[in-house]
Amino acid sequence: MCYLGGAPKIQRPGARKNSTGNSPRPLLPPSPSPPPPSRTTAVVAGEMGVKGLTKLLADHAPKSMREQKFESYFGRRIAVDASMVIYGFLIVVGRTGAEMLTNEAGDITSHVLGMFNRTIRLLEAGIKPVYVFDGKPPEMKGGELAKRYAKRADATEELSKAVESGDAEAIEKFSKRTVKVTKQHNEDCKRLLRLMGVPVVEAPCEAESQCAALAKNDKVYAVASEDMDSLTFGAPRFVRHLMDPSSKKIPVMEFEVSKILEELEFTMDQFIDLCILCGCDYCDSIKGIGSVTALKLIREHGSIEGILENINKEKYHIPKDWPYKEARRLFKEPDVTLDIPELKWTAPDEEGLINFLVKESGFNQDRVTKAIEKIKSAKNKSSQGRLESFFKPTVSTSVPLKRKETSEKPSSAAASKKTKSTRGRKK
Amino acid sequence: MLELRLVQGSLLKKVLEAIKDLVNDANFDCSGTGFSLQAMDSSHVALVALLLRSEGFEHYRCDRNLSMGMNLTNMAKMLRCAGNDDIITIKADDGSDTVTFMFESPNQDKIADFEMKLMDIDSEHLGIPDSEYQAIVRMPSSEFSRICKDLSSIGDTVIISVTKEGVKFSTAGDIGTANIVCRQNKTVDKPEESTIIEMQEPVSLTFALRYMNSFTKASPLSDQVTISLSSELPVVVEYKIGEMGYIRFYLAPKIEEDEEMKA
Repeated sequence: MCYLGGAPKIQRPGARKNSTGNSPRPLLPPSPSPPPPSRTTAVVAGEMGVKGLTKLLADHAPKSMREQKFESYFGRRIAVDASMVIYGFLIVVGRTGAEMLTNEAGDITSHVLGMFNRTIRLLEAGIKPVYVFDGKPPEMKGGELAKRYAKRADATEELSKAVESGDAEAIEKFSKRTVKVTKQHNEDCKRLLRLMGVPVVEAPCEAESQCAALAKNDKVYAVASEDMDSLTFGAPRFVRHLMDPSSKKIPVMEFEVSKILEELEFTMDQFIDLCILCGCDYCDSIKGIGSVTALKLIREHGSIEGILENINKEKYHIPKDWPYKEARRLFKEPDVTLDIPELKWTAPDEEGLINFLVKESGFNQDRVTKAIEKIKSAKNKSSQGRLESFFKPTVSTSVPLKRKETSEKPSSAAASKKTKSTRGRKK
Repeated sequence: MLELRLVQGSLLKKVLEAIKDLVNDANFDCSGTGFSLQAMDSSHVALVALLLRSEGFEHYRCDRNLSMGMNLTNMAKMLRCAGNDDIITIKADDGSDTVTFMFESPNQDKIADFEMKLMDIDSEHLGIPDSEYQAIVRMPSSEFSRICKDLSSIGDTVIISVTKEGVKFSTAGDIGTANIVCRQNKTVDKPEESTIIEMQEPVSLTFALRYMNSFTKASPLSDQVTISLSSELPVVVEYKIGEMGYIRFYLAPKIEEDEEMKA
């Protein structure tokens, strides 16, 4: 996926109490269908990839998403969509307004610093990241890319206006939107990662689909991205917020495709159709059909073809020559490769890192040396096995003290109590 | 309805002190067999399995199998309020979202009720098959605790090797190396001080000392610890809890980079 413009909105849930900390989270109040604890973090505006999918899943397939602790990915191989994180670093790391973090020669180094620190955080947690870089974008994405290009062109214009008038707020706003991941940025990060001993995979086409292919073929445990179409590409496990800085304290959210299909009672084909209807990067969606309607329509008619046959074409305007079949094909048979060298996490090249980071990029030598020490000790830690390699998960037979099946009775009892008490007050 | 009366309340206090640093939140399972718990640490490297059999309680009432999610730090806080000689009763009503710990002083002149909120925890149960181990070492728990503590001042990992000679604990660090060998010693007059080694075949495995040190917090529960080792399995470090049950810690071994597990 190429992030040429259109800032991905990073999810910021409201203040979440009792999610992971020490304070107890009391059992949910009795109600016929208790809302999943995840719902509070699920609602996102303008998410990447498939529009409105997170919320739809939170409402209709709550068991498919689970909050996980960052530490629980210990020892796991994770495929990371590199362009997405590099884009994030360019926006966040060492940037104030239109000024970016640079070396003496004036080349931007935000992405290098960000990639270095964030990758060390993963390695220290015993996580084994594989960074996947974009190849050439698929032709189908031309429309989406053109939109992003136009947006960025507008932003560049606005930015120069803002700089002229000295409007700091506008500079901040528009300089974010002009950020673009260039080939050089990608090359810098690849070089850094190789020096760090972290594997790099170059996707023939989109990184997103390549990540999913790695996960499908058990090369990695999960895909880390913010782009929901990882699920559409069929990554068995997809995690969000794994690459967020620790300071944000956002718990990692893990999605499982098999559970989505189970809960929605969909086949994978139907799920792909649902995502296309919700709105994906490859083709336009039908105006007036959002995620909720899309779900209803697929449930009713089974597929996009079924919907097109039955839908009121007066009410819903179907785009002319709508290329939904091509979009579907891209999701089902994306251009990916499994012909990659074995994934290996090796010892860091200390001299190479010092050369690159201290001499070329102008980073502080002490810090870099300390960071290299961290990589080395993390390397040692990564040999620790996980229990799941030895014991298989089972289902516990005991039911929680507060059973869900009985929850209706107490709720009606509570309701009647309430009415009684109000009556009492009236008297 | 659940009501479990444990005359030797101090046992429960010690259990909590032994596991609260390893696991934050866990589901306690209650059935006709007993009061049990299985939980992993956050990185899924170590697992604790606790069993307190129903026969060990003075009074044991549990109408159906149920689980109660508790924050162990908070539970330990409450249990610390019980005296060492107190009788502890665990009580919970059906459909309630709290559990009550009742502490009675031995001469019945003081009764304290502590009510704690329960939590909704997604538990991940692992099926642990009964296995034959290549080597089983029984030794004084205080001795094992001392060894782990001493070695962790030198290195991060311990290699436990069992041979005909005995059991060897070794480590290496920046400042040097350390080797401690314990030989079989069947002291007749003091069985709690004996070291007994049952070996089918020699075995040598590497473990993170950080976890081992955490396990030894269970030492106050038992004079003896049993360490079961097999080259293909996590180590089991077991402390018996009197006649009524056990606390077992499982720890995945360190693996060589070359034969690294598949994702």
